[in-house]
Amino acid sequence: MNVDITGLTRRFGRTQAVAGVSLEAGAGVFGLLGPNGAGKTSLLRMMATVLPPTSGRLRLLGRDPGSYGPRREIRRRLGYLPQNLGYYPGFTAAEFVEYFALLKEMPPGEVPRAVAAAIEHVGLGDKARAKLRTLSGGMLRRAGIAQAIVNEPELLLLDEPTAGLDPEQRVAFRALLRDLGQRATVIVSTHLVEDVGAACTEVALMDAGRIVFHGTPDELTARGEGTGAAGDAPLERGYSAVLAAARSSTAVA
Amino acid sequence: MTAATAAPVRQRTPRATGAVPLNATRLLWIELRRNAMPWILPLIAALFWFDSYRPSTGTVPLYALRTYWNMGQGHTIVDFGPFVAGVAAWMGSRDGRRGLADLVTATARPRWAARLATWAATAIWAVAAYLVFVGVMFAWYAHQGVGGSPPWWWVAVGATAVTAFSAAGFAIGAYWPSRFAAPVAAFGGFLAMAMSSQTGFNYASGWALILPTNSNGTFDQADSGIFYPWPPDLPIARIMFLAGIAAAALGLTGLPARAGGPWLRRAAAIVTLTGVASVAIGVGLADTARLSAHGMVIPALHDAANDARITYTPACGRAAGVPVCLNPAYRRWLPDVNAALAPVLAEVAGLPGTPVRATQVAAAYSSSAGGPQAITLGGQPPVLRLSLGSFDLPGPCGFCDRPVATKQFADQVRLGFAQAFVGAGNGSGSPAQQAVLAALLRGAGIPFAAQPGLMAAKNGPGPPPAAATGPVYAAAQRLTTLPAAARHAWLAAHLAALRAGQLTLKELP
Repeated sequence: MNVDITGLTRRFGRTQAVAGVSLEAGAGVFGLLGPNGAGKTSLLRMMATVLPPTSGRLRLLGRDPGSYGPRREIRRRLGYLPQNLGYYPGFTAAEFVEYFALLKEMPPGEVPRAVAAAIEHVGLGDKARAKLRTLSGGMLRRAGIAQAIVNEPELLLLDEPTAGLDPEQRVAFRALLRDLGQRATVIVSTHLVEDVGAACTEVALMDAGRIVFHGTPDELTARGEGTGAAGDAPLERGYSAVLAAARSSTAVA
Repeated sequence: MTAATAAPVRQRTPRATGAVPLNATRLLWIELRRNAMPWILPLIAALFWFDSYRPSTGTVPLYALRTYWNMGQGHTIVDFGPFVAGVAAWMGSRDGRRGLADLVTATARPRWAARLATWAATAIWAVAAYLVFVGVMFAWYAHQGVGGSPPWWWVAVGATAVTAFSAAGFAIGAYWPSRFAAPVAAFGGFLAMAMSSQTGFNYASGWALILPTNSNGTFDQADSGIFYPWPPDLPIARIMFLAGIAAAALGLTGLPARAGGPWLRRAAAIVTLTGVASVAIGVGLADTARLSAHGMVIPALHDAANDARITYTPACGRAAGVPVCLNPAYRRWLPDVNAALAPVLAEVAGLPGTPVRATQVAAAYSSSAGGPQAITLGGQPPVLRLSLGSFDLPGPCGFCDRPVATKQFADQVRLGFAQAFVGAGNGSGSPAQQAVLAALLRGAGIPFAAQPGLMAAKNGPGPPPAAATGPVYAAAQRLTTLPAAARHAWLAAHLAALRAGQLTLKELP
């Protein structure tokens, strides 16, 4: 398994952001759904090795990120797109992607080709030499995705990757996700259930730091049938139904 | 709750990492291209011109004096330091400020190594700009015919200081990733230089000599780089001090857990401690510095080879038939020196002890008030030794109220010559020596009424000069009213006794 998590917990003071999550994931696109504050970003940051867990067991790509050497190996094989992506305004899009390719310690001979491929993958070929400060929000997001995939990661963590993308770009991005999922473990945290329906083979729904549902998008859709849950699309109704059920059982407990 | 997917894990060949140096070079190149430092360089250039170059043009065209302000008192460092610290803090805080901390932390390259590339690019820009600005200034000095040799060791001190400012500013930015880090670092740099200047002015010896704005004993009034090489002792100590600050600051940025692995963090700790030790050693060495004739000497660092004279072919002329030879760095003042000496040499021509030639000697640093005698007469045959570096030379002075007039310079040279000739040394001498001195100066065209003012100007600040009256000037008056042949004969007969201080006023004719 590329991702092997057991009883993972993360606290920020008195707040428990992630509460005993267990998860296993191999190759494929894994959707992580949940409302604001559910703990998705904290879970992704722990998987990105930037946030140490408070407790629990975390193994990524068969390695323990708690030790420096394995952590560095994981990072060489990792792609990460944070929720709030910053950027260097003076860099061109190509330089930005190359910069992260170099930080990921890619072999120098592969970097130019990999940068060009990543830029093309996200449809920024004609903007490769444009300064990031001149790009729109959606283009910046695509530059962020390009830096995440430049090293052909074995584990790709994307936090709200489609935020700011227009519908055409979003469709293209879903195709890219499906393609990447053929070779790597792709974990996508998102609010947009249609992304999950279109691109994910597996989905987990988080609420209050816990995973309250795990299954296929079809299984999530089925949870909403006949419940009268709120939502415009079948998957949204499944999402709402699962959340409502989880919250009512918590309230009863 | 457990979630799982059953798809198999793909096994891949581990990535090659042997070409890390190539990656580092490329990383440095990107950082150099996108560094913020070039944006501030025009402002530094303007300040450099205004504060470092412009005031120096009003000084005597000798490197020791031209660079007194901008190198000795560290104004080139003052001009660069605060801005460099501010921009370095801006670059050091970049990832945190831009919300990229998570993203860069999630990469394989140790955070410290990546940060060092950012800092190196910042420092390279700053140091290169410093060297270019100073180089252009020195090239312009050379074009203006400034004499002597540039103080390269002090340029190295300045470059190291710029490096230290960049490292310190960068560390502030790295630890405090806020938009306020840059102005705070810049203000801190300015404050450090202001305190360095204030302390430097007050301490001519001891630990404060380590401060990069302390010019005591290293510049001013001497012939460093003309007769002797610039002594490198104090610059070496300052380089150790400033490089230590840079190392300690950079080491600090490698200590946090995010900076890298255990080995790297240990290396950062060692770098920090080495930097602190270098700072301490530099301060300790400066504390042992003592003033020699050629400048500050630190016994533990001193190399006797630096005391060797610089060989040169003198520039020579004649004054009243006496050959006068100067260091070629002083060539432009040869006519002034000849014109100054000619009347007094003519006055004493033919007398015993009259110099057969005049030659320039190096001015010497001295910790005593007044300094060593600027003109001496001695040897067999007698030779007049001129220490022109001790005089305010004709032309722009820089540190005087107004430019030095040729007559002002000539009068000081004539006074120095007359003092040496009558054996009065640096002081006023015996009353008889004073009277003969006054008569000689009168014969050389300096009226009695102007002489007390001339003496007072030579001795520096003090009470206003007294009127040219009293028994000394009465005797001098008698001497000048004698026919030239009689005065000459009397001097020939009594000069030895006069120089020995054995004559009284009553014994004068």
